Amino acid sequence: MVREDVGAAEAASYAKAILNILDDVGEERERQVDSQRAVLNILEDIDTEKIRLESTQKALLNILDDLDLERGKVDRANIDLREVNEAMRGFIAVAAHDLRSPLASMVGFSSLLTENWATLSEENRWKFVSTIDRQSHKLAGLVNDLLTLSSLEGGVLKTQPELIVLGEAVSQCLAASSGDTASVSVSCSSDLVVRFDPLHLGRIIDNYLQNAFKYGEPPVRIEATQLGDMVEVRVLDHGPGVPPDFESKLFGKFARADVTSTRDKKGSGLGLSIVRGLAEANGGQALYRPNIPNGACFVAILPVGEGPPR
Amino acid sequence: MKILVIVEDDPDVQFLIETIFSMDPRFALARVAESAEDALATAQTTEPEIIVLDHGLSGNLNGLEAARQFKELAPQTKIILFTAHAELEARTIDEPAIDAFLLKTDTAGLLPLAQELTDMLSLM
Repeated sequence: MVREDVGAAEAASYAKAILNILDDVGEERERQVDSQRAVLNILEDIDTEKIRLESTQKALLNILDDLDLERGKVDRANIDLREVNEAMRGFIAVAAHDLRSPLASMVGFSSLLTENWATLSEENRWKFVSTIDRQSHKLAGLVNDLLTLSSLEGGVLKTQPELIVLGEAVSQCLAASSGDTASVSVSCSSDLVVRFDPLHLGRIIDNYLQNAFKYGEPPVRIEATQLGDMVEVRVLDHGPGVPPDFESKLFGKFARADVTSTRDKKGSGLGLSIVRGLAEANGGQALYRPNIPNGACFVAILPVGEGPPR
Repeated sequence: MKILVIVEDDPDVQFLIETIFSMDPRFALARVAESAEDALATAQTTEPEIIVLDHGLSGNLNGLEAARQFKELAPQTKIILFTAHAELEARTIDEPAIDAFLLKTDTAGLLPLAQELTDMLSLM
């Protein structure tokens, strides 16, 4: 081959090689661009993932907050339950004591009668039987009170509201109640009508009256006034009243203030709790106010009756 | 004679305890008191062999509080806590002033228990 031809062929070969290199460079650049794009995509994905993770983290934190909140509620509910349990234990202890007391006399005297009938005098037999009779009535009253309270607390007590002329109901209650009812003065307009279960109303007024006789001092007075769509009945006495620190417990179960004036008075301690339950079951309220300057004022707020009375 | 003091504020239960002890002529009733304070006044002049003591009483002292004072006045006296408070039984186990606990509904057990306690006393 001649020298010129060789030179031209080399040049062509170089040129081809250069072209190839350029091609490779181009391809490499494309690959790099692709890689860069892929990296960018990955970075975008990471960003998206990061946002998703942040949002998941936020959701988890919210769940943890909610859990804390719920745990607080559960803790509080546990404390409430423990208090309810404690109150229930106290209630059962007092109820058991009060049920056992009349039972003791009944069991004791009936055993004495059974074992010594032939040797007992007629007078003693009569005394034993009348004690059993008295204590069995006491026991029956207490059991009835417990059942009424249980129905009230379970929300299953049935009320049969009627339109009642209040003055007549108060007079009937005074006639049926024990104690010095003749000395009780009444101030009640004859046109006052309430809508209430008559048995429940009788129980409320009688309970307030018996409280006034037992724990208060005369004169005892019953007053009634209409206030809007409610009628307020007040039973007032002039005794020592309720100690201020006991007022909040007054309508609780087995409530009996431990002061000298009440310590020797016997009662189930369920009366006012039942009164409040009966008042509320009939759409009313039961509450206490001091009778200034001295004494107690027990209040029943009753729904006013519309239309003609029964 | 075994001197008996009854501390009980329920008249029917007072009468019941009196009647139960009247079945055993060895017991002589010294006092029926409604409050621990009244019974303590009696124990200052007459040392009873046996006291039947209720827990919830008229006056300011309850049965458990009164028992300690009775024992200070008359250490030999046997005390039966005769009450309707069943929950007190556990407390009386660690209370040296109480010699025996009896629920009020277990009236048949009262006289035998008093006899047993006072018989122990006469053996000492």
